[in-house]
Amino acid sequence: MSAQPEMPVDPGLARFLGVMMHQPVDRVPFLGPQSHDHCMTVAKVPARKYYWDAELLVDVHIAVQRWYGFDTVMAAGDIYNFEVEALGGKMIYSDNAMPTVDTNNPLIKSSADLDRLGTLDPSKERIPMGVKLGKLLLQKAPGPFAGGVFCSPFSFLCQAMGYPKALHAIKREKVYAQELFDFAENQAIFPYLKAMSDNGVKNAIGPDAWSAFPNLTPELIEEWVVPSARRLGERAKNELGMTAGAGLAASDYCEEDVSKFDKAIMFKCWETGMKINPAFVFGFMGRTQDWDMNWLQEFATTHGANGLKQPLYLGINGRFIRDSSPEQVVSLLRRWIDILARDGGLLISIANVPSDTSSLSIHTALKAVHELGRYPIAKDLSSIKVEPPQFKPFDEWLKDQPEADIIFKAREK
Amino acid sequence: MSNEKYQAISTAVTEGEDIQTGNLVKAALDAGLPPLEILQQGVVAGITKAGELWKTNQYFLPDVILSADAFKVGMEVLEPQLKNSQAGQSRGKYVIGVVEGDMHDLGKSLVVALLTSAGFEVIDLGIDVPKDKFIDTIKTHHPAVVGLGAYMSTTMLQMKEIITELEKQGLRKGLKIMVGGVPTSQEFSDEVGADAWGKDALDAMQKALQLVEVK
Repeated sequence: MSAQPEMPVDPGLARFLGVMMHQPVDRVPFLGPQSHDHCMTVAKVPARKYYWDAELLVDVHIAVQRWYGFDTVMAAGDIYNFEVEALGGKMIYSDNAMPTVDTNNPLIKSSADLDRLGTLDPSKERIPMGVKLGKLLLQKAPGPFAGGVFCSPFSFLCQAMGYPKALHAIKREKVYAQELFDFAENQAIFPYLKAMSDNGVKNAIGPDAWSAFPNLTPELIEEWVVPSARRLGERAKNELGMTAGAGLAASDYCEEDVSKFDKAIMFKCWETGMKINPAFVFGFMGRTQDWDMNWLQEFATTHGANGLKQPLYLGINGRFIRDSSPEQVVSLLRRWIDILARDGGLLISIANVPSDTSSLSIHTALKAVHELGRYPIAKDLSSIKVEPPQFKPFDEWLKDQPEADIIFKAREK
Repeated sequence: MSNEKYQAISTAVTEGEDIQTGNLVKAALDAGLPPLEILQQGVVAGITKAGELWKTNQYFLPDVILSADAFKVGMEVLEPQLKNSQAGQSRGKYVIGVVEGDMHDLGKSLVVALLTSAGFEVIDLGIDVPKDKFIDTIKTHHPAVVGLGAYMSTTMLQMKEIITELEKQGLRKGLKIMVGGVPTSQEFSDEVGADAWGKDALDAMQKALQLVEVK
């Protein structure tokens, strides 16, 4: 008899790991989403503190995501900006929104700028905060996305020079594009990874939303993003002994026009995505509410290793959850669970929750997954009525939580 | 002969060959071809074709971006010559900008290219545009349509403030308002009281044409 794997105490994390290891779980896991602006809004903390203070940012995420009842915590600020900002990129700061790169004044205008910029200094701007963020997450909320977060190379280039220029380079100026990727990987991102590693953060993920489809085609992703992610990962592993997963969300199928949905293109995107993230099929930021989930199920069951279903990491579209009624949210999740969860392998989350999303919609989504996604999945899900969720207002609930002090204090002027 | 030149310009724009487009437009002007014909049968035909290919999944965003770049280069060469010949051809003024605090201009740049190709006189206020600048420009130029863009779910909330201010100042009459950008949706557009939501650049152009036609 083989030994059972030692399961972590945290039941949410156990659910996630169970799905990834094809083990039985009690219900479909609902993972904490990227939700920095929304968490800031719920917690009513000022942007100028929240986006500069790692402890506040982490505690706000932990508190808000626990209030909702997610199985794991995902905490990240405006992570696409850190490297560009530290290299001297001009930024716009605001009282009530995340910092944003001033694309009027791009950091990289030409090849000459690469020499001028030199190597990222990890003591500059919010890089130390980013390192601290990774450390705090590992301590306070271990989970699939605990650790460091960096901006992947193509997304970095889009932040540093603008998407059209970055695109022009990879399509029309290949030698220059190689120089750009080399700079992004080795001068901008690697020093940040080294700072993480030096501080004990030995795993990091690199979101890469600019490499989603149709920003880039699967062919361009294969030509540029996949090799770049491999190079960076190899260097981090060999020189720092750390795991650096660049390219998260690359090749995510984000076609907005439902009439253009194409099964062959979707499959190609998912296949390309699995070359970067072989652990799961990533269907996240697009109009997932309009997808034919039978296509996704077909893909997962035909593309898993050793005849097993490939785990699906599926995101509820952020605009959908903001704009839909609770009934529509429940109906969507009922359909998804019915088609995708019966044979396991389903992880649900939300793609970047908009700041003004109603908390009722999110609580409703959680309740729906908790009730409809319980294993074994009921034969007839339509017979299960999901009653409206009951929940304390955030401030009332927060009073008894360990994060209360830091959040209430942050609200003071 | 002129048809061949127009076709070459059109193909260069469709294929996103920016340098070639500029050279071909210059050569056509040097050959004495009418600027308006170069515009319509060359440059606009090229970007329109790119839009059609995009709609049928034969072109993707990278292709359209390069086409828009080539379109822009062609227009830069043509614009000084068009000033006179285009008089009276406009479908109306279109004021466009990305709201304050938001620096993302990719979508807006595409919309500007397509609106120009559709015959609008576009007044591009750029990015990070304060509410008062929208209001002042509308007072000065009396556009047919104003387009508000945002990329972040925090900054998009300013669209409602701008629309409310336009109503308060009595500027809404005869003015159509469009919203667009990644976090926006039809529901959001309805909620803030806009006349139309541009799902993407091509959709924005088509909706803008519908808005000015029903006036």
